[in-house]
This record gives sequence, structure tokens and C-alpha cells, in this order.
Amino acid sequence: MAQIELEGITKRFGKISALNNINLKVEDNEFFVLFGPAGAGKTTLLKTIAGAEFPEEGLVRIDGKIVNHVESKDRNVSMVFENYALYPNLSVYDNIASPMRSKLYKKDEEYIKKAVNKVTEMMKINHLLDRRPSQLSNGQRQRVALGRCLVREPNVFLMDEPLAHLDAKLRHFMRGELKEMQTSINSTTIYVTHDYMEAMSLADRIAVLNHGEIVQIGTAQEMYYTPCNEFVACLFGEPEINLLEGKKCVCSRTGEMSLSIVGSDKALELEADVRNVLAQHGADNIHIGIRGNDIQFAFEDLGDEWIKGSVYANEPIGNKVIMTIMVADKKIAITCPNDTVADMDQDVYIKLNLKKALIFDGNTEEFITRHNIDSFKKQGKGVQ
Amino acid sequence: MEKRKVSIGNILEAIGRNLGLTLFAMFALFPLIWMVICAFKSDAQMYNTVFRFTPTLENFKAVLVGTDYFKAFFQNLIVAGGAVIITVLAGVPCAYALARYNFKKKEDVAFQILSFKFAPEIMVILPIFLIFQKIHLYDTYFGLIWVYQLITMPLLIWVVRGYFEDISVEVEQAAQLDGYAWYEIFLKTLVPLIKPGLVASALLAFIFAWNSFTFPLILSGFKIQTITITALRYIASDTVHYGQVAVASTIAVLPEVIVALFIQKHLVRGLSFGAVKG
Amino acid sequence: MAQLVLKNVFKRYEHQKKNIFEKKKVLDFAVKDVSYTCEDGEFIGILGPSGCGKSTTLRMVAGLESITNGEMYIGDVLINDLLPKDRNIGLAFEDYALYPPLSVYENLAFNMRAKNKSEEEIKQAIDYVAPLMKIDDLLNEKPTGLSGGQKQRVNIARAIVRRPGLLLLDEPLSHLDGKMRQQLRQEIKRMHHEIKCTTIIVTHDQMEAMSLADRIIIMKDGEVQQIGTPLEVYDNPENEFVAGFIGEPPMNLMKSTIVKSDKGFMFTFENSELKVEVPKRYTEVVRDGMKITLGVRPVDVIIAKTPVNSTPVPIAIFENLGDERRISVRVGDMLLSMTTAEDVYYTPGEEVQLIFQEERTHLFDPETGERIRPRGEQ
Repeated sequence: MAQIELEGITKRFGKISALNNINLKVEDNEFFVLFGPAGAGKTTLLKTIAGAEFPEEGLVRIDGKIVNHVESKDRNVSMVFENYALYPNLSVYDNIASPMRSKLYKKDEEYIKKAVNKVTEMMKINHLLDRRPSQLSNGQRQRVALGRCLVREPNVFLMDEPLAHLDAKLRHFMRGELKEMQTSINSTTIYVTHDYMEAMSLADRIAVLNHGEIVQIGTAQEMYYTPCNEFVACLFGEPEINLLEGKKCVCSRTGEMSLSIVGSDKALELEADVRNVLAQHGADNIHIGIRGNDIQFAFEDLGDEWIKGSVYANEPIGNKVIMTIMVADKKIAITCPNDTVADMDQDVYIKLNLKKALIFDGNTEEFITRHNIDSFKKQGKGVQ
Repeated sequence: MEKRKVSIGNILEAIGRNLGLTLFAMFALFPLIWMVICAFKSDAQMYNTVFRFTPTLENFKAVLVGTDYFKAFFQNLIVAGGAVIITVLAGVPCAYALARYNFKKKEDVAFQILSFKFAPEIMVILPIFLIFQKIHLYDTYFGLIWVYQLITMPLLIWVVRGYFEDISVEVEQAAQLDGYAWYEIFLKTLVPLIKPGLVASALLAFIFAWNSFTFPLILSGFKIQTITITALRYIASDTVHYGQVAVASTIAVLPEVIVALFIQKHLVRGLSFGAVKG
Repeated sequence: MAQLVLKNVFKRYEHQKKNIFEKKKVLDFAVKDVSYTCEDGEFIGILGPSGCGKSTTLRMVAGLESITNGEMYIGDVLINDLLPKDRNIGLAFEDYALYPPLSVYENLAFNMRAKNKSEEEIKQAIDYVAPLMKIDDLLNEKPTGLSGGQKQRVNIARAIVRRPGLLLLDEPLSHLDGKMRQQLRQEIKRMHHEIKCTTIIVTHDQMEAMSLADRIIIMKDGEVQQIGTPLEVYDNPENEFVAGFIGEPPMNLMKSTIVKSDKGFMFTFENSELKVEVPKRYTEVVRDGMKITLGVRPVDVIIAKTPVNSTPVPIAIFENLGDERRISVRVGDMLLSMTTAEDVYYTPGEEVQLIFQEERTHLFDPETGERIRPRGEQ
């Protein structure tokens, strides 16, 4: 149980700066996810908290105490490493028991046995206790590493991509197990992942990192519904959010300001609240972010607001079909029911549900507004 | 599964294979056997047909009784053993540093260490001789052990460094987070992982040191004698006592053979690397 | 252009156990009795977990592995003993294996030069293929400067530049990251649409196979489990393995015992109160006390909005993933998960009633894993 504060953390490897002025406060008992593409500095940040890396500048506080110069063994944290970092010369049992056999966290063998059994049962590796790490599959190794982390009750759990090497099926179930376990864990957890589903599912709050800097901190809902810029919007959701270039124009029918997509002359009507914000916003060049779920399609022209395109690819993936549509040299991915059939280069018409669209500034790629923005900002965690 | 067929082809194959192995064994062992046989021959019969002679212990008597052969044997043991101990104590941390830390010219330093092994001993022996005389290390244990590092250290550092590089840093970090102090991490986590390489290279270092000839020949000889040097004694001005040389050599290889048989398993595995994969 | 036929193909490997005391030859079948026909111009996906024999099958077709038993035909020609170069096959592996000193153009031309094609012909072929794989502006680059995705494009272009009768792709996307993979997937599909060359792709990623292939061959332990279109294998799996392997999130496969009550047959689960009615169409094939595995996809379990006649269960996990929401309940020690794209929110512990989509529930024999079908259904 601990609160973690990072203040102005900067870390360089030679001339490359891996972390750049990171400020972060993780509350007691919070499940905090560090999320971002490869090379964003997530692992380095985690290791800085663990005491395995030392920052050039800035302060690390655990429970208010500055721990910059505290050795990692005395920080009372436990960590899952992405490459597992199991002891190759020890059995699975001894690997998991290891943290409880050091002088610092000494437990008697009876206690160890119980704890190891409990955690291995949860990880479904209790039949592997006598094996060496070299005799395990990657998925099994990862679960051993997770087991070694969870067997203790430290101040902070640090987890670096603990599910990354599992196959899709196992990952789905382990994520569920972790999520269910959260209620019984009485520790702060900092979790690194590049899988947006893990981040959204597990996190109380998420910090999105890119190039060693924090881009946005917020709940999963804020990330998904009100991302601070296009970069964050693209990270959440599958297929990736479509970003369409748009321009302000005047709708001939209503006389109000509306948007038109570059390459199409159809004017798309806006909700009043979006219109007001946009009217005050200077930029003329607008990007419309719209997810695949929020676009309707039809194979015939249904009139106003339906934009013509052609089918670029039609990919069934089981419970749905991802159709990629070319509109004025721009690919738009939409999700369709799983029995959708379409020929390549066939004409198709789409309608954007602008109520769900995110509006970005076309020059800075910063988020401007969306319909009903207040309801997403306020709710936060309360949505659930 | 089908039944195993015993065909003539299979039998011929087995015979051929065994024949080949036998021939190789003879080829490999013959020098040793020859040496042992010589040890039991008298000087008179030395040049007779190989396998027909009257065994005699005369040579053993001449070498062992009333001479300082055993003294030389133990002195050799002290010098070679001492050299290996120093090599392990200094070489393992050195290998660790070369594997783990990044500093300027790291690779140059590493190569420099290895290059000590390239130079023929005879090339450096004269300056060392002069220096040793000046600083009173001539004909001392310490002097020899020190100079033996030239032979033993580079090999060990290079083998063990490779092993350290194979261990991911995260294993050490994990052990730290598990609450172990640095020396515990070193002894409990790292040492078991480098053991095959450490044992193998230490053994090779021992053999090189044990067999060294040039250094003890020039840098010692009065107070300290190694058995490689004592073997020279049997070359008299008029004749070479091959029997006595053979006895001295037979006894001299014993420790190596015993040690090698004992840790044969490590020797093969240790030098073939890649055993650390977790 | 060609049709590929495999008839009862076997591949056997011989291992020798390393033991001085007993020399034992162990025979392992990497591929067992594989038969299928790829029609001319068809896009076939061979799908399976690692070690299922899918790559071995592909390598046998390419002629890189010998066949232990069986026959292979391209068109009407028996190719069992044909050298790889005579089979008119284009091959692209997972590793790019481009010649680093040569430019992209030279890499593409390399093979045709070896066959003494004229420069004009070569240029024509490359000019046709390069835009298909979107590498027309890379032709003068050296491979070292290219990204993984670009290298793989060049690699595939090299395989098709000779216009082979058969194109074989071995995990071509597995080195690439998500976004790149999705893009190249579309390019491959469009390339196939354009040149209509019979194509086989080997992959372990079910989504890749589903989105690319006209028909999928699912393999496990060297044996074919099912052959069918993406929708067929998704909707109508032959056995438990196929059911669990296809689909993300995976199908719920729940051990169950059938109990006859006054309301008819019910599925019951160990350590759970939950009872689910057995769909009418199965009543003839089930009996009281029978053990079965119940398979139902997460999208086919629905949370009732109005009270229905079913046991309420508490929600164990609620995950809001933005595009969809996943809800799981505990059934004994198993997790039953559901997904929905609707904007619904639940809190763990909340009791809900579940509806199983009757026509989309599958029964499997827990011993053999075979599908138990209603009487009269194929």
C-alpha cells in the first residue's frame, strides 16, 4: 500500500533521452496503467520506480519518502519483467518461493508452501512446480513470473507486459483473472502494456506515453471518448479510428455552419453544441475522428449525407466484418455484421454518425470538442 | 510403430562404426601408453621391440628415491593452484565488469586482455627476468603465480564474460527486488549460472599453468622448481634417460587426468556456451 | 494458373533418442493423411497452432521436403519427384531473405535473369508487379534501408514477379506490427484479386486466415480438422478444437452435465446454480446424465433486459473496451464471457439473467471433441 509520486523525472541513455520531465502521481491502491507504443519509455519508467534504473533528474517518492537513493531491495516493490527474468537454475517452485526466502522478507517454509500453492493454482501452473524455466513454454514462463510477483504483498506491484507473450485465448482469460483479482489485491499496481484492451479493461487510470513524455492521463473512458489529440485517439479502438480531413462550410438547407469532407461536396450537419465550439475556434482545417462502429453503410445511394466510396477490402474476422472503403483516396475502416459480402471496388455509400465523432484541429491535431462533451468529462470512473 | 529390423546392413554398419572408434582410440591413447611402457623399461632395452621387455622399477627408484621430485611436484601444485585461485578471484569480477558496464574503450580493454595470450612467452621473458631480479621476485612463489596470470587470466575472462552476457540484467534486478543483497545475488544467482564456464576455464587454466615450461625455466630454478623443469635433469651430458623422463611425465600428467575425468561433464558443456538460456 | 491436389499425403520424421544403452528409433508423423484440392485461382489459408504440420505441408508442396507417402498434383502433373525449380511456384517466407547488395529492382529481376529473360520482359514484369505491392517508388533502394513491412512487400513481389502457377506464403505477416500487418493484409488480398493466382498462406493467426482466405484448412497434430469458408468454420465448427481456435474472444467451452427435469432437459454445471435449457433441436440426441461440452460464442449469450425464466447469476467481471463491452460470470470455476457492442454498464456483483441464442449453441463430445449434431442435420 503506497502512494507513488514522480516529479520531473528525466532519464537519458547516452544522448538519447528515454524519459523527459515525467510528473505523475499514483494514488494508494490504484491500478495505474502506462500505455503507449514500443519505445515510448514505459519500461524505463517502471524500472525507475523499481530502483533498477536511476534518473538523471527528478524525484521518486514512495509514500512521501524520497527513494532516489534507496536500493531496490529496500523499496519493497515486486515486479514482473517482460522477459520473465526467471532464475534458470531454480525450479518453478523455488522461483516463486524466492522472494520469501531472502533475509528481508523471510517466511517459514510452511507459509511459503501455502502461498506458492495458492498463487500457482490461480495461474494454472501447479502441475509444473518441479520444472526448470527452460522446460516451459513462453506462456508458462510468463505465468511463473507473474506468480513470483503476486506471491508477496509489497507496497507496489510493477508489471511489465505480463500478458504479452500469451496466446490470444489465454490472454483473454488471464486478463479476466487479473481483473477479478484486483478487488482482493491491497496494493498499488503500475502496469505497462501496449494492448489497449488490457489498458481499458484493467486501469483505474491510464497514462499515455510517447517519446518519453506523458501525452494524457485519465480514465479509460476519457481516453476513448475524449482523447486529447489524434495520437491518443489512434491508440484506442480496433480498427483504428478514421481521421477524415474536413472543412467548415455552410449547409445550403439549414444555413448553419456544417462540415464537409475533402473530396465530397456533401455538407454534414453538426449538433448545436459542437457547432458553437467550432464557430469560436479559429481553425478552418478540421479533422473528423470517427470510429468504425459509428459509420453506416449501404450499397445504394440513400440521399443526403451519404458519401460515395468504393470497397477496398472486405475482411471477415469472425463475429464481424471489417470493410475498408476508399473515399477520395482515403481509406475508411468500418465494422459491419459478420454476414456482409462485398466485391472489391464495388460502389458503397457511407453515412457518418457525427454525434459520436471527435473533432480535431487539422493543423495541431489537438482535440477540439465532441457532442455532449460534458457527460464524458465528468463521469470518469463513475460510468461503470 | 514398426518392429526394428536387424538386417545385415545394420550389423555391418555397427561393426564399421566400432572399428573406426577403436582405431581412433588407439591413435589418441598411443602416446600415453608408450610413455607408461617406457617408464617400466630399463635404459638398455629402451630401443628394443616395444612390447617385449622385462619390466623394471629402476626408473621409478631413480626418479623418486632420494631426489627432490616430490618437492618439485608440490611446488608445481602450489604455483599452478595459486595461479588459478588468483585468476578466479580477479578474473570473475573483471569478466562481470566487461559484460555489464559500459565504459569508454571497453572492447579495446577486453581485446588487450585477450592479446596477452597471443604473445609468445619467449618474447617477454627477458624484460620480465630483468624486472623480477630488480624487484626481488625472481625465484619466488609469488613471482611465478603473478606471471602465470598471463597464461591463465585471458582465457577465463573471455569464457566467463560470455556467460555473464548471456544472463539478462533483469534476472539480477529481479533478485534485488526479491530482497537479496548484492553478494547473495552473486553467489546464489550468478555463480550457479556461470558455473559450467567457470569450471571449464579454471580447469584449462590449471592445465596451462601446470604445463608451463618457459616461465619457470627462466624465472626460477633454485628455491622453486616445477616438474616440467626437473624433467630436464634426466638429459645427461652423455645420454638421455628416457625411462626416467617417462616416469617423471607419467606422474606429472596424473593430476590433470584425474581432474579432467572428474569434471569432464562441465568441460564439454562449459566451452560450448549457450547453457544459460532460461 | 493451376489447381493443386494433395492425395493422402504423409510426412514422417525419424528421431533417434540419445541414449547409449538403448538405441531407439522414434517415428513421428508431422503430417498425417492430408488430402485437399485447391481450385484454380483460389486463396487457401492453412491455419493451426505451432507444430501442427502446416509449414511442413507447405514445404512439401514447394518441394523443400520430401513426401513420405501420398501424391501431389499441380494441374495434371504429378509433382512428387519434381525439383522445386521445376514446379513453377512462387514462395515468400517469414524472413525476407533479400539480397542486401542488390537494389529492390535487381532483387526482383534476379530470378528472371537466371532464366535468361530479356531485359525488356523483366522490366515489363516488374512494372506490373511493383504498383500491386505498392513498392514502385522503392525500386532503386537497397533492402537495408527498408522497413519490415516494405521488405515483406518486396519479398512477396519477388515471389509473384515470375507469375508462378502457385504462390506459397509462409507466415508473411508475423514479423510486422499491428498496423503494418493490417495494411499488408489488404494489399495481399487485393494483389490476389488482381492476378488471381492460386495462393496458399500458412498462418497461426486465425484473424489473418479468416480475413484473407476463400477457404481455410485447420490443422492440428498433423491432421486436417476442418476445411471450409471463413464463415463455415466460424458458424459451424466440426469439433471442439476448431470451435476454440477460431474467433476472438474465444468461444466459451463449458463442461456440463445434462439433467432431465420437469421442464425438459437442462444443462447443469459443476459447483454452479446455473441451469440452461437444452435447445429443442437437441432433445433427441441427449439423455439424462450425459456429459457434454457446451460451446457458445461470447456474442451469442445475451443479458436479458426484461425478466426471463432463468437462474440469476452475479457478474464477476465487467470490462469496457470502448468498441465493445465484455462481461463475464463465474460458472463453477469456469468463466463464461459475453461481448456486446451496446452501451450497457454493469457493476461486478450485480445479478443478471442470461439468454443463450438457441440456434447458435453447439454441443461437443467431451471425450473425442467431436460435434454432437441434432438429428437430421448435416
